[in-house]
Formats: sequence, C-alpha cells, structure tokens
Amino acid sequence: MMDPNLTTIDFGLYAHWIVLLPMIGFLLELLIGKYTWRKGGMFATLSIFGSMIISYGCLYNIYVQGMPFYEYSWPWFYDGIVAGFTIDPLSLAMLCMVSFVSFFIHIYAIGYMAHDCAKSVYFAETALFTGSMFGLVLANNLLQLFIFWEMVGVCSYLLIGFWWHKPEAAAAGKKAWMSCSVGDCLFLLGIAIMYTIMVKQGITSEIISFNNIFQNLEHLSHETLFGMSALTLICILFMCGVLGKSAGFPLHVWIPDAMEGPTTVSALIHAATMVTAGVYLIARAFPIFLAAPNALMIVAFMGAFTALYASTLGLVVNDLKRIFAYSTISQLGYMIAILGCGAVLGVAAVAYALLHLVAHAFFKALLFLSSGSVLHGTSNTRDIKEMGGLLKGMPWTGYAMLAGALALIAFPFTAGYYSKDRIIEEAYLYAAVHHPGTLGYLPWVFLVLGVILTATYTFRAWYLAMTGDPKSHLAVHPHECDWWMRTTLIVLSFFAIFLGIITGGGTKFWNFLEKTFVTETQTATGAYPGLDIHEIAHFGGNTLLEHGVHHHIPAAVIYLPLFLMIAGLGIATAVYYKNRVDVSKYIKKDNPLYQILWNKYYLDYLFKDIIAEKIIMTVFTFWDVLDRYVIDGVVNLLSWITIQSGQVSRKLQTGVVQNYATAVIFGVSLLMILVMMIKGGM
Amino acid sequence: MGPITLILLVLLIGAILSLLTNTTAQARGVALVSSFSALALSIWMYLAYDANFDTVTHYAFEESGTWMPSIGIGYHVGVDGIGLPMVLLATIVCALCAVFSWTEGKRPNQFFALLLLMDMTLIGVFVSLDFFMFYVFWELTLLPMFFLIGIWGGPRKDYSAIKFLIYTHIASVLMMLGIFALYYFNGTASGTYTFDIPILLEAYRTGALPISQFWLDFIFVTIMFGFMVKMPSVPFHTWLPDAHVEAPTIGSIILAGVLLKMGGYGLFRVLLPMMGVASTWFIYLIALFGLMSIIYSPFAALAQKDLKKLVAFSSIGHMGFISLGVAASALAGMDPARIVAHTGAMFQMFSHGIITCVLFGACGVIEHHTHTRIIDDLGGLTKKMPKLAILMIAAFFASLGLPLCSGFVAEFGILSGSYGTLPIFVMLAAISIPFTAGYHLWAVQRTMFGPYNEYLGDIKEIKWFEFLPLAIWVIIFVILGILPEAWNPILSMMHTTADYFITSGNVLPIGGIHVAAGGAFPW
Repeated sequence: MMDPNLTTIDFGLYAHWIVLLPMIGFLLELLIGKYTWRKGGMFATLSIFGSMIISYGCLYNIYVQGMPFYEYSWPWFYDGIVAGFTIDPLSLAMLCMVSFVSFFIHIYAIGYMAHDCAKSVYFAETALFTGSMFGLVLANNLLQLFIFWEMVGVCSYLLIGFWWHKPEAAAAGKKAWMSCSVGDCLFLLGIAIMYTIMVKQGITSEIISFNNIFQNLEHLSHETLFGMSALTLICILFMCGVLGKSAGFPLHVWIPDAMEGPTTVSALIHAATMVTAGVYLIARAFPIFLAAPNALMIVAFMGAFTALYASTLGLVVNDLKRIFAYSTISQLGYMIAILGCGAVLGVAAVAYALLHLVAHAFFKALLFLSSGSVLHGTSNTRDIKEMGGLLKGMPWTGYAMLAGALALIAFPFTAGYYSKDRIIEEAYLYAAVHHPGTLGYLPWVFLVLGVILTATYTFRAWYLAMTGDPKSHLAVHPHECDWWMRTTLIVLSFFAIFLGIITGGGTKFWNFLEKTFVTETQTATGAYPGLDIHEIAHFGGNTLLEHGVHHHIPAAVIYLPLFLMIAGLGIATAVYYKNRVDVSKYIKKDNPLYQILWNKYYLDYLFKDIIAEKIIMTVFTFWDVLDRYVIDGVVNLLSWITIQSGQVSRKLQTGVVQNYATAVIFGVSLLMILVMMIKGGM
Repeated sequence: MGPITLILLVLLIGAILSLLTNTTAQARGVALVSSFSALALSIWMYLAYDANFDTVTHYAFEESGTWMPSIGIGYHVGVDGIGLPMVLLATIVCALCAVFSWTEGKRPNQFFALLLLMDMTLIGVFVSLDFFMFYVFWELTLLPMFFLIGIWGGPRKDYSAIKFLIYTHIASVLMMLGIFALYYFNGTASGTYTFDIPILLEAYRTGALPISQFWLDFIFVTIMFGFMVKMPSVPFHTWLPDAHVEAPTIGSIILAGVLLKMGGYGLFRVLLPMMGVASTWFIYLIALFGLMSIIYSPFAALAQKDLKKLVAFSSIGHMGFISLGVAASALAGMDPARIVAHTGAMFQMFSHGIITCVLFGACGVIEHHTHTRIIDDLGGLTKKMPKLAILMIAAFFASLGLPLCSGFVAEFGILSGSYGTLPIFVMLAAISIPFTAGYHLWAVQRTMFGPYNEYLGDIKEIKWFEFLPLAIWVIIFVILGILPEAWNPILSMMHTTADYFITSGNVLPIGGIHVAAGGAFPW
C-alpha cells in the first residue's frame, strides 16, 4: 500500500530543485569529486536521480491526481525578467524523459568512463549539462530559456572537446559552438524584438514570460516591422536558433564532427540534453508561431527538407556513430516538420512531435550507447568496414542495437512505429486540407522518402557491424560490456520497443499533451486562462481542423510508410546481408552522385574552406592592415608632422617626461591667464 | 573628514611609505595594508550608502570646501550609484593586483608606490564633483601608468608609453578647452565663476548659458572627444593595443579593468545631462562610435597573433556596448526599455572591469611561465596548467557573453533595451556576436587545447598568489551574473540611479530626447 501521506505531497513546490540539484552535483564533482567513490560520478548520478524523483512526482500530481498546471517565478534582474518554473504536460514530458534517459546514461558512464583520468570533470560537466536542460525545459520565459540554451551549448562545447589533447576534438567543440552561435545571435535578436514590442503594449511585469506573451498575441499580431508582421520576423529569428541547436539544414554541420566526444556525450547530446532543445522551443512557443502568418509554413518545409537531406547522407558514411548522427538530424526534421503542420493540426501537432521526441530519445540513446559498447569492446573501432560478426562476441550489445534500429525505422509495434507513422499521416492531412496545391504535398513527400532511406542506412550499419565475417583483427574477439553498461542497454531497449504499447499506441500521451496551452495555468497571484487556439490561429491567417471531425485518409497513404520501410529493409538485407548486389562498383571517385554525398553536398567545404578561411580570413587580414596602416598610420602621421614642425615638439620624441610636464603646466597656466584676463575684462 | 577623503589619503600615504621601503616584502606589506584598507573603506561606503544618501543633491558622502575661491576651484567630492561601483571596482582590482605582484623584484618600492598612486588617482576621478579636481586626477592617472609601462614594460615600451601619454593627453587638452569654455560662459552669465560639476551641468542643461548652439556644441564635442579617446572608441583606439602589449601584467589589468572606465564614467557623469541641449546628432554619433567598436573589434582580434593584443581588442568591443547603451537610452522611447538599456550600460562598466582582469591576468601568467604570448607558439597548456585552464576558459566564456556571467546580464540589457530606439544599430551589433565567439574560442583552442607544445619545456602550474586573485574575480563575475537583482549589490544600486537619470527630469528631459525630423542621421 502506498503511504497515504505521499498523495498529499505537492512535488511542484520543489520544481526549482530539479534544476538546482544537478548544479550542486556539478560543484561537488568539480571540487571534491575525484576523492570520492570510483574517483567521480557519485554526486552527478545521485543528483540527477533526485531530479528524476521530483519530475515523476510532478507527473504523478498532474496526471494521476489531476492537480492544476501552474507556474511560479522570482524576480531575477531588470524589471520584469524572472526566473520561473512551469509545470504543464509539455514540460513534464520533457522533464521525465530527460531525467530518465540522462540518469541511465550516467549509470552507463560509470562503466564506460571507468578508466578515464579526468572522470570527475566529465561527470561535473554532464551534471551541469543535464541541469541546464532542466532549466531550459522549466523556463516560463524566453530569456531564461535562452540563458540555459547557451549553458547547454557551452557544456556541449566542453564535452565534445573533452579529450582536448586531440586536435579534432578541440576543433569539433569549436565548430559546434560556432554553428549554434550563428543561430543564437539571431535568436537573441528575436528576444530583444519581442521584449520591445511587449513593452510597447504597456506590459511591465513578466515581460517576456510565455503565458504573458500568449495572452497578448492579439495586440502583438498588429505590430509590423520592415513591412512584415513583427511576429513572423520574430519566429523566423527563433527558427534560426532552432536550426543551430536542433541541427537543421544548413547549420547541422557540427553534428557529425561532434562524434569526437565520448560516446556517452553523443548519447546525451542526441537523446536528452541538447538537440531536442530546438524542437522544445518551437513547441513551447507554439502559439506565437501559430499567430504569425507563414511562420509555421517555413518550419514545415525546413523540417521536412532536413529530414530527407540528412537521410541521404547517412547512406554513404562508414563511421558507425556518424550514421546515427545523421539519423538524428533526420528524425529531428520529422519533429520540426510536424510542428510546422500545426498550422492545421493545432496543439495536436505539439503532442505528435513530443511523442516522437520521447521515443527518439530512448532509441537514439540506445543506439549510441550500444555503439559505444562496440567501440569499448573493439578498441575504438568506428569504421563499420572494419567490423563484422560482432553479434557472436557481444550479443547483449548486438540485440540492444537491433532493438534501437527497429524502433528507428518504425518497425510495427515499436516505439517509433506509433510516433513516426502518425507524423507522416498528419503531414498528408496537412497537405490535403491546407495546401490543395502540389507544393503543399512537399513536406509529406520528403518525409515519406525519408522512411525508405532510414530503413536502408540503419540496417546497412547493423548488418555490416553485426553479421558476416570479421573484417579486421580488432573485430575477431570483441569483449562484451560490463553490467553498469548492460543495465542501461536493457532498460532502454525495453522502452524503445514497448513505449508505444505502454502509452496505448500513443493515445494516452497525445491526450495528455493536447491539454497544454488550452488549459488554464495557476500562478501565485492568479491564473492565466486557457488559450482559444482557434482564435490565435486566425491572427496568423491559419484555419485549424475542427476537433473531432473525421478526415478521410486513403488506406494507401496510411500503409505507404510501412511498405516503404519494408522495402528499405529489404534493400539493406539484399545488399549487405545476402550480398546479392555488389555496391562497390558504385562507390567510385568518378560517380558524381557518390561524390556529392561523400562530400556532404560540399556544405562543409563552403563553410570552412570558402567562408571561414577564404572570405573571413581575407577580411580580417585586410582589417589588420586597415588598423595598422590607415587608422594608426594617420595617428603616426600626425605625430610625425608635429615633430617635424617645431623644435619644442621634437623634444617630446625624446621621452623625457620633465619636458612634457613643463609643457603641460605651461599650457594650463597660459589658459588660466587667458581666462583670468577675459574675466577681468568683463 | 569623510570616507572618500580617507580613502584618497590612505592610498597617498601608502604610496609615499611604500616608496621609502627597501625590500619587496616591505613594499608589498605597505601596499597590501593600504590597498585593502581602501577596499574595506569602499565596502563600508557601500553598506552605509543608503543612510548617507542625500536625496536633494543625489549624492552620498558629499564633502565640499573651498580651495582657490578666487577662481572658483573647490574641493567637492561625492558618489552616486555609478560613482560608488567604480570606486569599488578600482579598490577591488588594485588590492588584488597587489596580491598578484607578490614577488615583484624589479624596483619593488617604486612599483607598489605607483600601484597605490594609480588606485588613488582613479578613485579621484570617480569621486570628483569639481571639474578642476576631475581634470587634475584625470591627467594624474597618466603618470603612474606611463611609468609602469616605461619601466616595467616590454621591448617597445618607450614607443608605447609615449604614444599612450601623448594620445590621451591631446584628448584631455581638448576636453580641458571644453571645460574652460563651460566655466567661462557660466561665469559671465551668472556672475560667479565656479568649476563645480553639478552647478555647471545644471546651467548647461537648463539653458542658462546665453551662448549660441555652436558654442554649446563646441563644449559638448570637445569633452566627448576626451572620453571617446579614453574608452577607447574606434577610430581613436590605436594607442590601446600598443600600450597593452608592452605594459606589465598589472599595468594591463588596471588599464583595461579600471582606466578605460574613466571614459565611460564621463559619459554618465558629464555628457548625459548635456545631451538634451547639444545637437541631437551627437547622440547618434556616440551610438555610431559604439557600434563601430563592437563590429570592428572581433575582426581586428581575429587577425592578432599575440594573445594579449587579442584580449586588448576584446576590451574595445565591450566598451562599445557602453556607448551604444547610453546613446540609445537617451533618445525618446519607452521608459522601461530605456532604463534597462541604461542599467545595462552601467553594469557593463563594472562587469567588463572584472572579466577583463582575469583575461589579462591569465595572459600574464602564461607569459610568465612560458615566456611567450604568441598564440601559435602555445598549445595544450591544459596538460601542464589545469587550474589556469579552468579560470581562463571561464573568463573567455564570460567575455564572449555567456549567460550566468555578469557580462551577459549587461549586454542583454543593452541590446534589448536599445532595440526600441536604435533598431538597426542593435541588429548590426547582434551580428558581431558569432565573430566575438569565434575569436575567443579559436584563441582557447590554440593555446589551451590540442597536443602540448613540447618546445615550451617543463612549465609549472599557476602559483597561489596568481591563482587567488584570478579565482576571486571569476567568483565575482559569476555571482554577479546569477544573483537576483535584489541581492545583487552592484546592479540594484545602478538600477536606482539609472531610473533617476532617465525618469526624474533632472538629468535627461522626461521621456527622452526627441529627434526632430531630419535632425539626425537618415536612420
């Protein structure tokens, strides 16, 4: 029996501890971590466990006990900037996922990082990373979200470059920060504009709190800037931030390089603590996007394009971790695309996106951690061309990876099946209802094509790594991972397979999430009423589907993703398992298609070799010349003229201070006398 | 005798006593006692600030007396919510600098005496309420710095010291012309000649001076030039990198941490009340100087090969934010946003003062241990100096504007608050952020990360007396970046003052300065 008192605990009163506990864990790890159990890891893991308990307590309060959604805040700095904490289905879904996945990644890391000499620093950074993500998720205002957004960025920088002595790792960390920074400066600009137009409405408290903005959307939607709706401009700027953080095209270039960090870090970044932040931003600010004309259309197209684009790149890479990295970019594209379809679907789009986000977190963490186990067991082999037959030596890892792979390709009844196929169906509905023209079908077409590619590249990796004969001596005798790591693989495999079934095919999850925004939120001083989401959609010129009205989707459309998935799986099986087709004849230098894919559509070349090294290097070399010879040249020229022009001035050049001081005193006295004379003359 | 006079005297006596000592230990002892007494006094002033605040004059700890009554020179000192944080900054920085130079062996008595003298003159600038005193202290700051560079400096110290002295001195002389004009015109109009800052500014602000717009502008622009050179604003910045490169570490820390703030302080104390009367396009000019500095500095910094010069350029960019914030908050707009911009600009003064100390301190430690500052010769220093690495990375991130450090609070305030009045400026300033991040991260990558450069030999970890000041500065900027405003000693004080400057009508016209159509730049 449950302790009757437990039912009366209001965990939400302790929501700020969800953020603070990992921060304390960070400090303890940093200062005294290396003198404790196993030289680090204890404080970080325990503090995140504490956050997890509070998160699930909040979920129990709201989901089971039906307590109201609420937020509370304390003044932070300036007028109306607060540190706030929101508890609603949206933040709860994220909190529970982040704390759970991050906790198990920490358990795994106790085994995985056992032999690293800077273990306590590693755990300090991951604790800060997770804590920052909690701060981001709980934020009730844009600035707090941005602050933790940047903290997440800096932790990812430090962790990607954790093995700082490797030049590639140091460069990868910098690349991650720089790509995000391009988006972040625009995001910050968007916040500044939002701040300004909110002040213009005469709002003085909690100026950029989400709920406050939502309540004022009607007035805000009349603001214009540069001939367009101010809200649309703001949303585009936010979207730039999302492209950086959630690895959207074209700012996704940092993701593959980020594989230089420890694999546990990749798992954290891809599943729990970093790339989901962008998706969460759009979800959290969803009413703003809905009220901004055309903003969601851009979101839908960018997301769908990214989904297809990244999955083509996954086909040719040979690095096991990079294959999964590209699949992350692609899956994030699905989430962003469905949020864009919210122009028709309303809050349901947020629910669909979040289920895929949560499911993705489980199976992607699983995929990375099992590939980490492969690396661990084969002396850091990452090239799938050097693996093969690993299933015999490491069955736990092999089957765990299989579970993750099946969920990733949306194999029936796995977690991904319920989340991803729903997204594709709804993308079709979006086109059919909202955009009768051909262009409206583009997101759907992109997403559908992504399915077949996803199945192919995922099982290409699995077959090449796990089946067949060992292709290098390192793969002959792999050793299986220890029980710290195995525990995590088992737990994550369970959720990767059964999450969809547990949530009643997603229905329970969606119903819970759809209450976000439309239900009132309690605050310390009152309540924000629930939003009329249809009215908000009208501000942005969007028309939502009426709730409960059945829209016919042809059976062919419903089953198409399933068939394509099977087709992709079949291709992978035929080529890489049965070896029916010899692909090596296509992998040639003179095959232009292969060249384009292998060089990642030359985006890295464009950014690094052309923009960074040619254009910016030239500009700043020129800048240096300008500084030295033009601006400073004028200064030196002036002094030269002065020196040449008279004896008195020439003495300045000698550096004798007495002369200089004499001149000063002489000059001052002269002026004083002048003034006195003028004064006397008045 | 009030606390301000006491601080000045403590430091002056300390400087004289220090000069009379013979050994490093003696000189250091005198310097520590003297500078920490000044620090204690300024902290006491902070604690007693509210009780001693005069709501009529809007200053605390005011002291006034006559000095040379025949020409209207008085001894008038006092602090407000911008002056007192600057005094705190100067005393914190100089006290910790005395710790930092624990083992200074070259002419230690003179070194520590100059350090204390530097502290005194800087505080003198921040407390003066009489233009004559202000100008004297302003000029006196040059001398200790000149000698610090000229005696303890690097290879090209003579060129740099002279350039620093002459460049900033020329600017000061122009400023003096403006001050004398103000003094003279006020005297002729009112009949009493005085250098008292509040009286002169009040006369200027209320239009009591019977002079043409040309002379009003003349006074404004000469004084502005003095401040802009000191800040320094692009294109008057070229003395700064040269001075930094050759200055000893302590010289750089004080130069960037406190001395540059004199220019910013002048904007708040002297120029702000004048803005309502002088031609409005000067406000845009100040904003433009700020914007130019913000955009210029990352590009120039990217090209630097010397770590210290790179850090010097970062100062120029950060000081640009102050000009931008002040100009934007003076223009007519929405009051809450203007107050935020103004508070942000004030907070940037303190915040940058602390952050840049760690940057230059870290450069100094690296130079001291490896005997080079050329970025390409370094690499992988984390291996040998992990503690320095933590402090330096913290400072570099604070400098590029990482949230939860004080710099972010200031820069967010400036950008958000300024958008309402100067949108295009803010957009252009925001674009500089990735470039700023770029040169910081690139510098960290090349000095701290990667394989250790074995040519550097076996270098030692940072020493305790170097570690302690840097760690304290890091703790200060992190705490100031996290604390809620109500508990944030600096920000809350500045906010109250900014509120007074913007909304009281005693400094700026109520509602801000309206720009007549066509009265400003096209934007």
